[in-house]
Amino acid sequence: MGAERGLPLAGVRVLAQGIVWAGPFATVLLSDLGAEVIEVESIQHLNPTRTNFRHIPQQLLDGRVGTYYLNRDGSEGFWNRQAWFNFAKRGCKSVTLNLESERGCSLFYELVQHADAFIENNAAAVVERLKLDYATLTQLNPRLIMVRFPGFGIEGPYRHYKGYGTIMEAVAGHTLLRGYEGSDPSQTPNSLHGDPNAGANVAFALIAALFARERTGAGQLIDLSQSEAVLQQEAYAFMDYAMNARVQGHWGNASPAFAPYGPYPASGDDRWVAIAADSDAAFCALCACLELPGLATDARFADAAARYAHRGELDPLIAARTREHDARALMQQLQAAGVPATELLHQDEMTEDPHLRAREFFQPVAHPEAGTHLQPGPLARFARQPLVPVRGPAPTLGQHNQDVLCGLLGLSRAEYDQLVADEIIGTVYREDAHA
Amino acid sequence: MSEGPLAGLRVLDLSQGVTGPFATKYYADFGADVVKVERPDGGDPARRMGPFPHDVPHAETSGMFLHLNTGKRSVTLDLRHATARAILLRLVADADLVVESFRPGTLGRLGVGPEAIAAANPRAALLQISNFGQSGPYRDFAADDLLLYAMGGVMQITGDPEREPIKLGLYMPLFFAGVVAAGMGLAAAWGARRDGVGERVDCSIQEALAASMDRGAPNLMAYQYSGTLMSTRERAVRMNALPAGTYPVADGYVSIATQIAWWPRLCRTIGRPDLIDDERIASRLYDPLLAEEIDALVYPWLLSHTKQEAMALAQAEGWPVSALNTMDDVFRDPHFRARNFFTTLDHPYAGALEYPGFALKLHGTPGTLHRAPLLGEHTVEVLCGVGYARADVVRLRQLGVV
Repeated sequence: MGAERGLPLAGVRVLAQGIVWAGPFATVLLSDLGAEVIEVESIQHLNPTRTNFRHIPQQLLDGRVGTYYLNRDGSEGFWNRQAWFNFAKRGCKSVTLNLESERGCSLFYELVQHADAFIENNAAAVVERLKLDYATLTQLNPRLIMVRFPGFGIEGPYRHYKGYGTIMEAVAGHTLLRGYEGSDPSQTPNSLHGDPNAGANVAFALIAALFARERTGAGQLIDLSQSEAVLQQEAYAFMDYAMNARVQGHWGNASPAFAPYGPYPASGDDRWVAIAADSDAAFCALCACLELPGLATDARFADAAARYAHRGELDPLIAARTREHDARALMQQLQAAGVPATELLHQDEMTEDPHLRAREFFQPVAHPEAGTHLQPGPLARFARQPLVPVRGPAPTLGQHNQDVLCGLLGLSRAEYDQLVADEIIGTVYREDAHA
Repeated sequence: MSEGPLAGLRVLDLSQGVTGPFATKYYADFGADVVKVERPDGGDPARRMGPFPHDVPHAETSGMFLHLNTGKRSVTLDLRHATARAILLRLVADADLVVESFRPGTLGRLGVGPEAIAAANPRAALLQISNFGQSGPYRDFAADDLLLYAMGGVMQITGDPEREPIKLGLYMPLFFAGVVAAGMGLAAAWGARRDGVGERVDCSIQEALAASMDRGAPNLMAYQYSGTLMSTRERAVRMNALPAGTYPVADGYVSIATQIAWWPRLCRTIGRPDLIDDERIASRLYDPLLAEEIDALVYPWLLSHTKQEAMALAQAEGWPVSALNTMDDVFRDPHFRARNFFTTLDHPYAGALEYPGFALKLHGTPGTLHRAPLLGEHTVEVLCGVGYARADVVRLRQLGVV
């Protein structure tokens, strides 16, 4: 851990209640950047990122939900073997505190006095109910930076609205921009883009507030609307409306500028090659690689404007040839010829991808209860630092109770034991609390 | 006007396109002094991306450029000239953070690579943004948002299983990587300030997408843990229960997400509290065999409400339903309006327009949105700021350096 001293956020202590998908992307970024992230959890209410299906029905374990857990094992201790929790909280600490108890809450307040920041994306009402609001916390620590990011932010008529990225992106208009061209929106697959995007915004904002605090000496409250963070990225459609009052529809895989463009079938099952013929030269090179010499001289495809107008006729001609090629070999051939093209990587093969292997993108992380697995990352590659997933595994539930409560807050052994006896803290999720 | 959190931070921005400029937009909007270096002949390619007012292309009115470059100062430098490179290194000497997004190796070939930058200013942090990173066999591959999304692994699982995979909205993967890069670069600047020594960050857009929580890292981890992918190409990203996905309502569509535990909320919303205790459905909301039956329950209710009504009524019960807004719905949306998201900026060529404003609201140091710069608008003031006389700038212009 000696190298940690040099990571840029070393020495920055962050309390986190970062749940589902948005919170975790903030914590993994901050942790990879060197911050000491303490996830404040509870044995009464399991952190949703650990995914709570006590008594998980076998049908769920056999299906998608089972993949969340090591070897599809939903038995006792499943909360320590959740796949993405163990990615998103790598290098973090876990403390359990029953914040609904007076003692638990007062210990949280003590932690706040030792923290630089508190980030949370609980439902908007939870923070006020538990008296974890900024007005309360800033009294205890005026240097505290608090970042709140429930889906729609903490102000405005939708502030109590619930949802995931799929819900937030719909209101922001993203869903109606990215369906298949000409298709019914009910056929549009949804995405969770909004969640990690919110997490990345939170990490940025927290660091920005550190800069501000250095000048002003004061922390501050930061309110992020996940929905607005998505809207900010729909710039092409947004500015078109602002400028021309034009309402754009589904773009599908089309480019506003080029054709041919999009994923084309390659040989094999569900294999694709994505091609962006972004110039006349690229189009000619594409035709040469695919042995379609007639296309480059065909009047329908003679220039960029004609190709765009006739892209419906062009695509099947290209696809008929790409179908005969191996996706990776065609990518290599096209790139060498100056045509922007890539295969579509399959996630179950990514650890074998030659480029990602050369970059050591996947790194083994040993977890005390889940064993050693490859993790994607690192999210920060600093020239003078070792790659970061080796910073450490994700914590088991309450793993750092003693470290933090006795080490940082100075509780005695007797006080600590009393907290355990009173179930203020613990390392086992209490089923009865949820019954 | 309000001082942003990054007031006093000096950023030299050599990036162009979407990802780099979106990262440095964060710095500029939040108060940093961002000096954007552009080529004299046409500048940043985003100046050609559009959309344009009345569909008339103009170098100063590209909507993408105007949004991506708010609050920056523009300097033109033709880095093919040795004099321009010397000027660049003088600008580096005054910067806390340098950002670049050239193809890997380009700056080095011009003689202003990472070593030259570190020599000119050992205290400056350097953020290098690229498609596939600064190393590896695909380092020099050309790519755009479609190709990077494809190489991030998530595109293959996005879309209808019976059709070709589909990408996100235009440029979204690049915008996302821009936010990730903004945090990395700012962290590097923070560390450099603390240590008194600059640090270099290698940000690969492909890797940011592959490790994203949007079915990237979770799926890769699920595969490591269980031997099976959690998500495949499917109509809807389901949580664990039905109904889920996009559904029609009286005047359009809504997006729905459901958890098993939320069955009572759904029943109350659609006026069927009698079904709350119907164990046959309640305990098997994840079962695809029930899909038609559940759809038959919710369709009549959905079709008798508008998207705004359906959202308000369901959300009042705590059931996540939301309107699929078009862009004109978005511009009228009461929530975005109440939060003052839209910000009007005037521009000498594009006129007064509404722009996307702040998604991040920093209550203590909010920052301010200023319009994007004209090409080379600040060349004279920036060069004079590092010791050139006005007469020098006139000569440099004659030489084609600026």
